[in-house]
Amino acid sequence: METAELKLQVKKQIIEFLNLISVKPEDIKDDEPLFGEGLGLDSIDSIELIVLLGREYGIDIKDPKEGRKVLADINTMVAYIEQHRTK
Amino acid sequence: MLYIHKTYCISAQQDLLQANIELINEAVDKKLLAIEPSYEKIPPGILRRMGKSIRMGVGAALPLISETDNIDGIIMGSANAGMDDCVKFLNQMVQYEEGQLTPGSFVQSTGNVIAGQLGLITKNKGYNITHIHLGLAFENALLDAMMQLNTNQSNTYLVGGVDEISPFHYNIETLAGSYKKEDISNKYLYETDSPGCVVGEGAAMFVVNAEAASSIAKVAAISTIHSTDIELLKQQLNLFLQKNIPAGENVDLFLSGENGDNRTLPYYTACETLLADDTAVVRYKHMVGDYATVSAPGLWYACEFLQQPVPEHMFKKKTSKTEYRNILLYNNFKGLQHSFILVSNL
Repeated sequence: METAELKLQVKKQIIEFLNLISVKPEDIKDDEPLFGEGLGLDSIDSIELIVLLGREYGIDIKDPKEGRKVLADINTMVAYIEQHRTK
Repeated sequence: MLYIHKTYCISAQQDLLQANIELINEAVDKKLLAIEPSYEKIPPGILRRMGKSIRMGVGAALPLISETDNIDGIIMGSANAGMDDCVKFLNQMVQYEEGQLTPGSFVQSTGNVIAGQLGLITKNKGYNITHIHLGLAFENALLDAMMQLNTNQSNTYLVGGVDEISPFHYNIETLAGSYKKEDISNKYLYETDSPGCVVGEGAAMFVVNAEAASSIAKVAAISTIHSTDIELLKQQLNLFLQKNIPAGENVDLFLSGENGDNRTLPYYTACETLLADDTAVVRYKHMVGDYATVSAPGLWYACEFLQQPVPEHMFKKKTSKTEYRNILLYNNFKGLQHSFILVSNL
């Protein structure tokens, strides 16, 4: 899968998993922070995203520090998925 | 004594007092689904995690809380509360073999989630409780508020009843024969002679305290019983009326929970036989449907009918009276759980 295609897929999955009713994939910028400013996600959402990575891509993140870096924005998430996905 | 000062109701109707029956909302797929407002007072980050019953409960309560100086406690009645999220979470446990589970459904899955969320959002650290006794959940919440006010007379409470039509609950109740099999319009609900009701959902909230001044209604008495015995029900109603209706007065309006189910109709007609000839009989479940905490919108209607006319299509029996002092709200849940609530003007 091309990186651009994967980014779109991840954005759609984030919207579905986090029930971001009024957000469209094009509203989520690739380099915009997912937490705090930007999309405004919180700590419960971070757990949801870690579960998303496990279920959809077979990625198991156990170190919270690593999780914080991976979930910084769409670019970091997709780069990590491309390197570590098992499905 | 409990006095109602403010009310709010979310139901299947935009206008619960719609005078023209042709303009009322009809059931879709035999369900009277609630028309939800925009929930401007719920923070968006919290709103997106809420199930429908939580949205309706919190959404109906927040406008009242924001208009009230001090709420000392939150008392909810809900038969199912976060049942839908509970089932989602349990299904995830099975689907993912008890592996990675998301917390969203879990934190919304408990019975006390509506009162809990309200406490968190409004930073209310007072009395916070949820009654879950199926068809008497709201009545017990109201009774709890009355008892609280007996001992804390200067307090003000938020009392409410909330339930949703969740897919799980709907399927179970359909299998149990609770709902009508035939596809009928709620406009003609009482013309059917068949078992089952039309299911509804909603939330009704009330700000109550022990002060008569500036209140809109008084809940003078509540009585509940569990029984399938019609004679026992009649005895209970007779006792209730003797004890609570002042000498020289009678019930002006009987607000019946009749729901189109021919299995429970005998209970309602038995009650009607005990009332005076000049007692009007009014029905409301063609507007909101039937569900465990439907007495909450019933109480909302009682408050309204103390102040404004009853739409013609809601009358089962009309009398010469146009103003009502004593309104008796009777509900019957599955022929087993009965409640009488006497609502009076001041």
